[in-house]
Amino acid sequence: MIYILWKKEVESYFSSPLAYVLIGLFSIISGTFFFNLLVTYTDGIQAIPQHLAQEISFVEEVVLRLFANINFLFLIFIPLITMKLFSEEKRLETLDLYWLSPVREWQVVLAKGLAAFTLILSMLLMTVLFPLIIWGVGIRDFSLLGSSYLAVILNACCYISLGLFCSSLSGNQIIAGLLSILGIMFLWMLTWGGHLNSNYLVAEIFSYIGITSHFERILRGLIGTQDIIYYISFVFMFGFLSVKSLGRRNW
Amino acid sequence: MDKILVVDGITKEYPGRMAVSNVSFEVLRGSIHGFLGPNGAGKSTTMRMIAGLMPATSGTMTLFGETIHPEKLSLKNQIGLLPENAPLYLDMPVEKYLALVAKLHGVKKVKEQVEKVMSDLSLIEVRKRLIGNLSKGYKQRVGLAQAIVYDAPFLILDEPTNGLDPQSVVELREFIKKLAQEKTILFSSHVLPEVEQLCDQITIIHQGKIRASGDLKEIHRKFRQGLVLKVGILENEKLPDLSELGKYEITHEHIVGQEKQYDLVFENDLDCRSDLGRLILGKGLHLLTLQVESPELEDIFLHMTEQKK
Repeated sequence: MIYILWKKEVESYFSSPLAYVLIGLFSIISGTFFFNLLVTYTDGIQAIPQHLAQEISFVEEVVLRLFANINFLFLIFIPLITMKLFSEEKRLETLDLYWLSPVREWQVVLAKGLAAFTLILSMLLMTVLFPLIIWGVGIRDFSLLGSSYLAVILNACCYISLGLFCSSLSGNQIIAGLLSILGIMFLWMLTWGGHLNSNYLVAEIFSYIGITSHFERILRGLIGTQDIIYYISFVFMFGFLSVKSLGRRNW
Repeated sequence: MDKILVVDGITKEYPGRMAVSNVSFEVLRGSIHGFLGPNGAGKSTTMRMIAGLMPATSGTMTLFGETIHPEKLSLKNQIGLLPENAPLYLDMPVEKYLALVAKLHGVKKVKEQVEKVMSDLSLIEVRKRLIGNLSKGYKQRVGLAQAIVYDAPFLILDEPTNGLDPQSVVELREFIKKLAQEKTILFSSHVLPEVEQLCDQITIIHQGKIRASGDLKEIHRKFRQGLVLKVGILENEKLPDLSELGKYEITHEHIVGQEKQYDLVFENDLDCRSDLGRLILGKGLHLLTLQVESPELEDIFLHMTEQKK
């Protein structure tokens, strides 16, 4: 059943120009980030003596910054993808088709989430060109590339689940999209708020609830159990809330 | 005929508003049951509850002896619904959409079933077209197709002919009649002659409450409250006193060409046409019309929905 629903969603994405426009835009913007970071890095190492140039880490200056920027792009791109998932169907009353068939809410939520994830993966697939370009210009330092991908993928999962929940709340796409953007920004700000707080315990709590500290740790290859638990529980919690939100019709 | 659907005292309450209140009626196996009511009467709400799209605040509904509830999946393949706004994915081609619905309901031979339904509803020529690009008539047919593609034995059709051109209305009506040979149908419409033509059982709902429910002929009979006879004589003649036939009242009098027609209501409800004819002719009058008048469904509907406001 989930496969049927997932396939319908993915076909719906790729039968409209939206998916191609998003993938194209994402590729152009992330490509521009990559190009600028690469130019800044090469200019930087050319401007200083060679023995000091080795001190400047390619991974630090290009790879990690690039993936941090990709995470930033998700602030706009993921709400754009998720905002219509339920709100559009609510407006057109097409969800009735699912509720008239032997389908459970969680199956619909999971299928839609997986379909959005598939589109995000298609976008990220375009960035695989970047390591190939680096390889082409003779740079062989690919450490932390895998963990960087893992970090943005895990963040994407969280943003998708948050976006799904926001979309399930409203029949208005714009409101759903804005709620998602605000939600993601709130997650970022929690970590920043934690840094600003002088109370150690409060700072730690904020830092744990916020997504940035987990993202940065995984980005640097420091994958801890607490981070994995955070991501899994985050996705489950918003998935669960989406299911409950859709189930409101049964109240 | 056994009862396929039993709706027993269902109520749907929203904050500050009662959508339907204590609604009860039954639908018999193999019948086309008309569900009538003015806009906002609670028809769609009731139909959506029966289809398992929303629960009732109180009361019970059973279909094939099983209690209906949105979370009960076992009844989902037994009910086909064409709601007022058909759940159509406008960005999907007709054939793919119907295949999706069939798959969601676990149909085994999806391709054959979709082909059959498209053929039955004359959708073959638009099978590859996006639903969003179809005319209103075709969209309505696709809506009906999604309700029948998984061969549910009980169909709920909420104003299926609404907004269609006359040709499509006739075609769709014929198709519904054909469907009724195998299925039980709960059917709502604003077109009362259509209901009279299609349905043998009806339920009238108004302001969320049931006004009448049961066999259409029985409702006609109950509503009649006495025998209504239409009598026509020449315009320049005068209707004689008929009280020897029973207590009566002239409810309507009008002239059609050279004929003066009277609607007479006899309280004793006995068909006294032969005596009446003899009496009029015996007075040397010209009897031009003599017939029993049945009230139109429209009269009953208006009576039920206006007087009891």
